[in-house]
Formats: sequence, structure tokens, C-alpha cells
Amino acid sequence: MFGGASGRLVLVLTGLSVAQPLAAQIQRNPSAVILPQPSAEVRSVANASREVKDVFARAAHAVVKIHGVDEHSDIYGTGFFVDPTGTLYTSYSVGGEAENFTVQFDGKNYPARQIVADDRSGIAMLKIDAATPVLPIGKSQQLEVATPVVSIGFPLDLPETPAFGMIAGFDRKYLGRFFSTTHLRVNLPVQRGEAGAPLLNLNGEVVGILTNSLENNSGCHALPIEAAEKIRGDFVRFGEPRHGWVGANVAEAPDSVEGSRAEVTEVLDTPASDAGIKQGDILLQVGKTKVKEPEDILDASFFITAGDTVPITVARGNEKLTFNVQAELHPKAKHVPLYPDGTRVPMSAGMPNRGIPLNLEAPPPPPKQ
Amino acid sequence: MDQFDDTEIATLLRLKRHEQPPPGYFEDFLHEFHRRQRDELLKQPLWRICLDRAHDFMLRLNVPALGSYPAAVTAALACAAVISLKVYQTPVPERLSAHAGPALTAPANATSELTLASPVATRVFSMQPLRRLDQRARAHRAATPPRYVLDSVPVSYESTFRF
Repeated sequence: MFGGASGRLVLVLTGLSVAQPLAAQIQRNPSAVILPQPSAEVRSVANASREVKDVFARAAHAVVKIHGVDEHSDIYGTGFFVDPTGTLYTSYSVGGEAENFTVQFDGKNYPARQIVADDRSGIAMLKIDAATPVLPIGKSQQLEVATPVVSIGFPLDLPETPAFGMIAGFDRKYLGRFFSTTHLRVNLPVQRGEAGAPLLNLNGEVVGILTNSLENNSGCHALPIEAAEKIRGDFVRFGEPRHGWVGANVAEAPDSVEGSRAEVTEVLDTPASDAGIKQGDILLQVGKTKVKEPEDILDASFFITAGDTVPITVARGNEKLTFNVQAELHPKAKHVPLYPDGTRVPMSAGMPNRGIPLNLEAPPPPPKQ
Repeated sequence: MDQFDDTEIATLLRLKRHEQPPPGYFEDFLHEFHRRQRDELLKQPLWRICLDRAHDFMLRLNVPALGSYPAAVTAALACAAVISLKVYQTPVPERLSAHAGPALTAPANATSELTLASPVATRVFSMQPLRRLDQRARAHRAATPPRYVLDSVPVSYESTFRF
């Protein structure tokens, strides 16, 4: 795919160099010139341009410029609507820690309120009170290296701008540290102000959210849309993100067992130990995610919701065991629900009312007899 | 002096040497002194007493230095009159802050509101809501250029392979 893209570039440049003497010839004797038919490669570039233009025309109206105020200055970023009642995604750096949000939509400024700010995933959700267009949600798992993608953002103080690029990789690690889940690396030029912009496939579906730039703004990282949808699902169920945690440390095992080198190295007083997982077990599967190396648990862990029961399969000696572990809230969770006396709300307390945000107020006193 | 010779004087002095005041004389001396002074004073007519007291009072007040006192009193009364006139002439503000006490703040176009309606030129102040505390921070932010956001690093990382 890289070869094909560079080939297209050469053809475009060649076409430009040929076009100038051809134009001069047409001016001299228009009737004597027979115009050459564009090659298949040139046609495909033209088609790609047309597709980008089409995606931009369909999606730009659901992409908005966000203004907020933090303790230092006014900030500007980008966001996009994901439901028709005015809910929008943006990056945590735009909507996570600022206030007094306004959203420029349809030529007007709408006040917006923050409904989710999740620094672990790096996104935030805002809401305006208006009927809004919606960007369809795609599947980032269908992306491959060199899949063409489009972003639409508001760079600096400029109007909405499309950018065209391709998927460059799937990263779990950047600058020596690990993401909370695999991120999309995109070869797509970005500018300041485009944090929170949607990453779209050529069908116009959102496959990611721009979170941070790479060196020289020549590329960027994007959170896969499935990870963002997990956070939105938590919000719909509980009124807040609920990152789950079973409480096991994993490191690389010296030998592979059943194709996995992810060994449980520490299990303290955690849901994992309560369920029966022991030190030395080799992780084979967490939920629906198969584990082959320690890094695989990043994705498996990210999609665990506190309160849910997660089946975990391990190899212990010659046995293959499956434990059902009820996940607790992740220790990094900022909004740990507490009772008024300061004690943590047990996860089981939310189980009967999953569709309703938890009411953390103290229960009313029983009526006097 | 011729009527007394030295012998008589010497005799008199000897007698005075043995003379003793009556009991309680020294204890009542100050009280008796004031009583006699009042008695001596009351021997004068009333008008004379008042005149003397007024004279003493004026001397203590350093009368030449008080030459501007009537002028100062006059100026103070004039200011009070002007202020009271302005208070009565100023219309009642239509809206006052609902959450804070009013404060006097000079409007931006205050220079155009200098008026000569009263003898003294007076700047007209308008009633504005009291500035909230975060307005200072807002003013600071207003001086800071806006930030177009796109971080170069993610907002968070995972510390270990702990799940």
C-alpha cells in the first residue's frame, strides 16, 4: 500500500510536468492536439479526491468548534455529535478540565455542559440542548495499515478543514510508556485546535478521535471509536465511566504456555484472588480477548466495566481453568462513588439499577411507627 | 520699724517658735485654700466674672490662628448642600445587583458625564454590580492569547501491566 501511494504521487507529479507543455501546445494549435486519456492511476487519485470531498460534504455539518475557559486562557478545540440530542465527543484536553463551554454549531453559539471527562481514555463528552446531526459510528477493527482516513477539524482560528491520510500503525506504547488501550497512529497532518476531531473512514463513519499529535504535527494518535463507545456505554448505564479492575499484576513468563507468555505475578486481596486466580497462572483469555503476551491485557483491561463479571481463563500446570471474576472500580477511577459517610459503594449496590444513574444519597429513614 | 526694737522682735520670734497650728490644719489646708479663693472670686459681679472667663478662653484658643474657622464651616456647609442636591436629583437606578451590594464604579465614558448643573462640577457615578472575584482571573485570561488545543502527549498512561 505504501508502494501504491508513492506510485500515485509520482504519477501526479509526472502529470503536472506533462500538463504545462501540453497547455502551451493547445494554445498554439488547438485543433491539432489529441488529449490523452488519464491513466487508471490518475483516475483512482481523482476518485480518492472525490471520495474525500464527499466525506467532507456529508460529515462537516456534524463537526463543531468548541470554546472553553480554563485557569490559564480561552481554549479552542474540535468535537462531533454522536447522538441527535446534542451529545458530542471531544478530547479530554479540550473538554476535560475547562469550563464555560460554548459550541459553534449551525452558525450559532450554544452553551454546552460537560457530562463525561475521562482522562484514562483521553476523551470528554459535552452536551448542548439542540437537535443535531449525527456522525455514524464505524469499526476501527476493520482498519489496516495504509487504510485511507479523513479527519475534519478546526485548526487554529480557521474554519472546518479536511485532512487526508492513512493508518500508519496500531500502538500500545508511545515514548516508552503504555497507553490505556491500543491507539491508532495516523499519517495525517494536524494542527493545534484539532484535538477531539473525528477520524473517518471513506464511508464517512467515525473510527477514532484525535487525541494527541506526533513529532512536527506530521501525524497523530487517535483513540479507537470502540473505546470511546465503551465510555459512552458506561455513562448510559451508570451516569459515569466505570473502568473495571480485577487486581492482578502480569509480567512476561520465561516459557510460553498454550501460546501465552502472560504470567500472573502478584494477586493480593483483590477480586482476582477472591475468585481463585493464583500467582504463577498463565493468562489465556480475559473476557473475549485472547492473551498471548502481557501487553494484551491493556485492551482486555480497558473494556472491563466495574461491577460486571468477567470470565478469565488461565493455564495452571496441565489444567485449563476459567474463573468468573466480578470486577471492582479501577484504582485510577477519579469518581469513585461514596456514601455520605465516606465509605465506598459496593459494586453490587448498582447491580439492580444498572440502567439508572446511582443515587448516592443516604436512604431515607424508616417511617416512625 | 522704729516702734520695735530688737528685743521686742526677739521676744516675738520666741513666741512664734512655740506657736502650733490647730489640729487638722495641714489636712484641710488645700480645701480651705480653694474655699477662700471662691469666696474672693464671688465678691465680683457676675458680668465681670463672665468677661474674665471669656477672655481667658480666647487667649487659650490662640484666636489669630482661628481666622479661617468660619470659612471652613461655610465650605463644609456648601459641600453638604451640593451633595444633598445631587442625591435628590439622581434618578433611582432601575436595576440593582440581585446578589451583591452595589458599588460605585466609574463608567468608561465618565469624562463625558461631567456636569455643570450644580455649582461644583461633579462626576456622575452609575450603579454597577459588585465585581465578582473570578473577574480578576477572567481579566488575566483575557490578556492571555487563546490556546488551540492539540497535546503532543497523551493525557494519561498505564503505569504497569496491572488489570
